[in-house]
Amino acid sequence: MKERIRLHILIKGRRSIRMKALILVGGLGTRLRPLTLSVPKPLVEFANKPMILHQIEALKAIGVTEVVLAINYQPELMLNLKEFEKKLEIKITFSQETEPLGTAGPLALARDKLIDDSGEPFFVLNSDVISEYPLKQMVDFHKAHGGEASIMVTKVDEPSKYGVVVMEESTGKVERFVEKPKTFVGNKINAGIYLLNPSVIDRIELRPTSIEKEVFPKIAADNKLYAMVLPGFWMDIGQPRDYIAGLRLYLDSLRKKSSTKLATGPHIVGNVLVDETAKIGEGCLIGPDVAIGPGCIVESGVRLSRCSVMSGVRIKQHACISSSIIGWQSTVGRWARVENLTILGEKVQVYDEIYTNGGVVLPYREIKSSILKPEIVM
Amino acid sequence: MKALILVGGFGTRLRPLTLSVPKPLVEFANKPMILHQIEALKAIGVTEVVLAINYQPEVMMNFLKDFETKLEIKITCSQETEPLGTAGPLALARDKLIDGSGEPFFVLNSDVISEYPLKQMMEFHKVHGGEASIMVTKVDEPSKYGVVVMEESTGKVEKFVEKPKIFVGNKINAGIYLLNPSVLDKIELKPTSIEKEVFPKIAAEDKLYAMVLPGFWMDIGQPRDYITGLRLYLESLRKKSSSKLANGPHIVGNVLVDETAKIGEGCLIGPDVAIGPGCIVESGVRLSRCSVMRGVRIKKHACISSSIIGWHSTVGQWARVENLTILGEDVHVCDEIYSNGGVVLPHKEIKSSILKPEIVM
Repeated sequence: MKERIRLHILIKGRRSIRMKALILVGGLGTRLRPLTLSVPKPLVEFANKPMILHQIEALKAIGVTEVVLAINYQPELMLNLKEFEKKLEIKITFSQETEPLGTAGPLALARDKLIDDSGEPFFVLNSDVISEYPLKQMVDFHKAHGGEASIMVTKVDEPSKYGVVVMEESTGKVERFVEKPKTFVGNKINAGIYLLNPSVIDRIELRPTSIEKEVFPKIAADNKLYAMVLPGFWMDIGQPRDYIAGLRLYLDSLRKKSSTKLATGPHIVGNVLVDETAKIGEGCLIGPDVAIGPGCIVESGVRLSRCSVMSGVRIKQHACISSSIIGWQSTVGRWARVENLTILGEKVQVYDEIYTNGGVVLPYREIKSSILKPEIVM
Repeated sequence: MKALILVGGFGTRLRPLTLSVPKPLVEFANKPMILHQIEALKAIGVTEVVLAINYQPEVMMNFLKDFETKLEIKITCSQETEPLGTAGPLALARDKLIDGSGEPFFVLNSDVISEYPLKQMMEFHKVHGGEASIMVTKVDEPSKYGVVVMEESTGKVEKFVEKPKIFVGNKINAGIYLLNPSVLDKIELKPTSIEKEVFPKIAAEDKLYAMVLPGFWMDIGQPRDYITGLRLYLESLRKKSSSKLANGPHIVGNVLVDETAKIGEGCLIGPDVAIGPGCIVESGVRLSRCSVMRGVRIKKHACISSSIIGWHSTVGQWARVENLTILGEDVHVCDEIYSNGGVVLPHKEIKSSILKPEIVM
């Protein structure tokens, strides 16, 4: 009791930060099919934790008390997330679009949930993004420059594929955005993490609007938009290839923090995450860059590398899997070889000795003959 | 009795295996191809075998000296200086084949694997009293071959039709002949085809008879047929209840394992597999429809099907080798590699997967 009172005073004593955040969840998650045929994208696990939980936990950690999820689909998401509310002691509400509102419209739709009289800025996150989430640094950065909006940018090798943010290197003041530049104008792109003052919402109409094309350019023109270069890793994991690449980066960052979560042992190579309820047989070689979910059974002599194994999967003896995602409750047969961005949906059964080279397999399918080149198996 | 085995040339269709070893010495079901034939000839009383070759006599002769002693049969070579086709070599070897006894002599094509019912063929030859007997075998797609058109009851050959466009029959020349010495008088010492030039003449004289081969037959001169032939051969061993076939909980179907080979725990071997001397198959390996030559090491958890693994090669852990992959001598496939129909020349190391059938030099 005393402890609770003390804590309460401490919190009240500090000008309590009751920040809010909006996560743009968006639509159907078609790029992560067939996984998203079974489960809404935010709930698809990444490194053994639902994608959206990575973000909600990061927000909770810096004192966000309420998260609004901007969705336009998946009412079932609402039911599932009630559970997280309790566990994390954070309020989770929904703002559902009736028509797609783009990347800025949802902010206007959620206005009443985001703005209270505190005048605090609010976070906006893109749900496909996995990163270090240096949100405290972003809050400090935002206070320091005193502008209206902060965006996180990340450095990429091929900026011409993205929207590049052109900024003053010393202050971070954003000059302009250039979509898919043909000549080199910079190598920082929008990382999909923003910290916005409530006044930004005044600039957004309740209609399909792009934050990059319509809203930010205006704020930049007023010299009130600042960009912070994201330290650490960043990945948009909304499609399988990037999901796998992201897993490597994420596990690498766990390693750097000397996380005890990473598995160790003679059968482990590199960075590997194994849920405590998973079982791994003898003579396996697991890793690098592997995540094995709850209740999985990996029989003896199995080789896994660069792959994500969802909950309840059984991988039979001597199988060899790389660069793939194995969906919940699937089985991979003995001596099967699964590689090159094979994505198995929920409850897929790959028979013994089958080879799949980039097969994208819909839920409940049985694979009785080899898939020799990347293709969708309905 | 004597016999001539048409060994011929470079064995290019069985490359890369024949880059290391002359074709007749390439093992089939753990025994050099030519030994299958020499043993069958020895079994019915042939005392001398002449090998008609046009390449690598020295290499051949070294091995053959060995067989000569073991089998107590005389083996000589008749070497062409220019390619003489399928009949010319008989004329070249004339002096070796004719000894005045008047006995007919056998002619075998070295690529053929079959039951070799040579005793039955001798009886057939005596009964019809003609000049030449040929063995024919039934096939599903006769239009790809030379078809032998014959009188079904007597076996008398009417004519040969090369790759017929309409159906004329489904028996093809099986490459096993029993010929009277007089046939040699019909062959000039020049490039000659026995099917196109010699047999039609004998047939026109009503002196050529064909016997339908009972049992299996395969021309194993190329990898796909070599693998099919292995299945047929092992099946025929099974029918004879041969004790040579392996058994055990890790064996499926017909499998031949040399006694000096070692197989680890948790393997699943077969069907239709031959494993040669000194091979080491580590634990958890899956083999089906494949031939593993002498001295090969197959590492843990690998999976091999429909392929030929050449002498002293290694296949790495969790490697997957399939679809008519042929590894030449001393090829090393690294761990976790996939080979889909790779044809790999000797002494190569395979460090990255071969995704579609191709030659790796």
